[in-house]
Amino acid sequence: MSGEQAAVSAAPAVRPARGWRAPVLLVLGVAAACYLPFILTERAIFGVRLSNMQLLNIGLTQVNLMMITLLGALSLNYLTGIAGLISIGHAAFYAMGAMAGAVFGTQLGLPFPVVLAGSALVGAATGVVAGLPSLRVRGLYFVLSTFALHYIVVFMLSEYQFRFFDVVGIPFEEATLGTFVLDTPLRWYFFLLVLCVLVYVGLRNSLRTREGRAMMAMRDHELAASAAGIDVRILRLKAFACSSAIAAVAGTLYSYYMTNVNAEFFTIDFAIQFVAIIIIGGMGSLAGSLVGAAVWLLLPAVITGFAAQIGSTDSAFGTLLTESKPQLVNLIFGSLVIVLLIFAPGGIAGIGRSLRDRLSVRVR
Amino acid sequence: MLPQVLFSGLALGSIYGLVALGFALVFKATDVLNFAQGMFVVVGAFLAVTAGTQLHLPFALTLMFIVVAAALIGAAIQALLIRPLTGRSMLSIIMVTIALSIVLRALIEIIFGPQPRALTTPMPTGVFIVEGVRISQLHMLAAGVSWLCLGLFALFFRFTTFGLQMRATANGHEAALVSGINVDFVNRVAWAIGSVLAAIGGLFLAQLQLASTELEGIGLLALPAVVIGGLQSIPGAIIGGLLVGLIEQLASSYVSPRSADIFVYTLLLLVLMVRPWGLFGQRELGRV
Repeated sequence: MSGEQAAVSAAPAVRPARGWRAPVLLVLGVAAACYLPFILTERAIFGVRLSNMQLLNIGLTQVNLMMITLLGALSLNYLTGIAGLISIGHAAFYAMGAMAGAVFGTQLGLPFPVVLAGSALVGAATGVVAGLPSLRVRGLYFVLSTFALHYIVVFMLSEYQFRFFDVVGIPFEEATLGTFVLDTPLRWYFFLLVLCVLVYVGLRNSLRTREGRAMMAMRDHELAASAAGIDVRILRLKAFACSSAIAAVAGTLYSYYMTNVNAEFFTIDFAIQFVAIIIIGGMGSLAGSLVGAAVWLLLPAVITGFAAQIGSTDSAFGTLLTESKPQLVNLIFGSLVIVLLIFAPGGIAGIGRSLRDRLSVRVR
Repeated sequence: MLPQVLFSGLALGSIYGLVALGFALVFKATDVLNFAQGMFVVVGAFLAVTAGTQLHLPFALTLMFIVVAAALIGAAIQALLIRPLTGRSMLSIIMVTIALSIVLRALIEIIFGPQPRALTTPMPTGVFIVEGVRISQLHMLAAGVSWLCLGLFALFFRFTTFGLQMRATANGHEAALVSGINVDFVNRVAWAIGSVLAAIGGLFLAQLQLASTELEGIGLLALPAVVIGGLQSIPGAIIGGLLVGLIEQLASSYVSPRSADIFVYTLLLLVLMVRPWGLFGQRELGRV
């Protein structure tokens, strides 16, 4: 147990930049991130046409949805991986963000940035309320309270939806930032990219503050942390407020991106997908959230690709692929979580870390 | 109207109590909160569909098939998934059961298709009316079988050696190990029993409604039932199940059908805030 935790807590530690490597990688990363949407919209790389299969059937819309999911995964990884508070009701904050977006944006007609700020505030407030049981109950009981919270919040959203809108769902207007209208996937991409980078860097830097270190101390040993003068009760509520504010913003973005939101979207499975993403990516590793979200994005696309290749042949496997694709995605996703939990509890980020350690030892 | 609501609440509550008992058993023996218990209910329903509707087995054989298959599935899951995770963090263990339920649902939907299946069994479906209350025979039978199972388990724990060993294991793993109890085997049996109880609940729920993966939500109601009753308490699980059944029926007839779950989960949240050890559980003391 303690060994596992030590490995996790070592993850976000600052590594000294190794001379020229870090800036070069940064520039390459920015260039790749800026070029990616053009590959996906023009279906070509440097003028060379790519088939759908080579692009894994991924379009820009899926990448955008992945980035919105990434925000949710980052916020959950911050809460669970860094502060050690388990939430299996994280979709509740998404639903809260959707509701805040509907009130501020659709009903009151406020400008988009104000809506986002408002939903962050509403999310933070909900987070504090959701964190209140943590003052009284620990561990298992607290997990159950997030589970109960999920049902209550989603019920509130559906009551709200039926009171002011109808079964079809809550409509959302086009998002505009001043004169910049987010009307194409390409524009959304760059907006979301900036937002994701800001949240990622913000969270990563917050780990090096007093608060961030206190949270990791609280996760590793609550009693020792409070003996060291940390007020763990306030800290828990802070972690919750911060995490759920991000999740609520992600929920608002999701609603605006989908242009129509129904309370039925926010099932318990929706909440569980975030937990699955951070387990696959790596608990306590913010970069792991990105890896997990990428797996979440790629898996359905890869299976569709396979189905397109094999589905034309009349084999039983081909029909299985085409007919029950969502089930197959869930099957592989669930099995991946089980296998990683049993054999690699650090997730893909953990595997990567141990590989790198092994390699760097050999170099020395 | 009220007696009618109370009757169906208690009848449904008996089934929840049965599923919740399986849940509590697994938790007591292995300290695992099994989020796949809802899916075990669905597995039971589809085992019944396989044996009764597809293989046309006689009803007695169908029952045996369900019990044996569910027990094997439960034991296999303990051996393959739960045992390797012994001593891991709580999230890992919870997540493995959640992932298991995702996998099981996907498998069932691939094998049987996403459409719900009707279950045909020779169980009585008639209704008789006592003083204006419509009493469905199936509800009566479900409640009767649930109470029979509950009684049998009470006797099993009280009077058999193996029941004693299970209670000892639940009380303290190390102490049980030292006394020469095969704790791993006891845990495996606990998982098998938990899975069988859920499967019997699934059989009745599938007959009352339809066999589909939607039954998972109903099976998951065992979770609030167990917590409200007290996580560590076997009678608490049964009474919690009855309470949840009553609340569901009362809320859906007097408030609105959609609000039924909310009353249950609000009560769960209240219990967690005020009395986290549940109505009948024992207060856990935090030790340093």
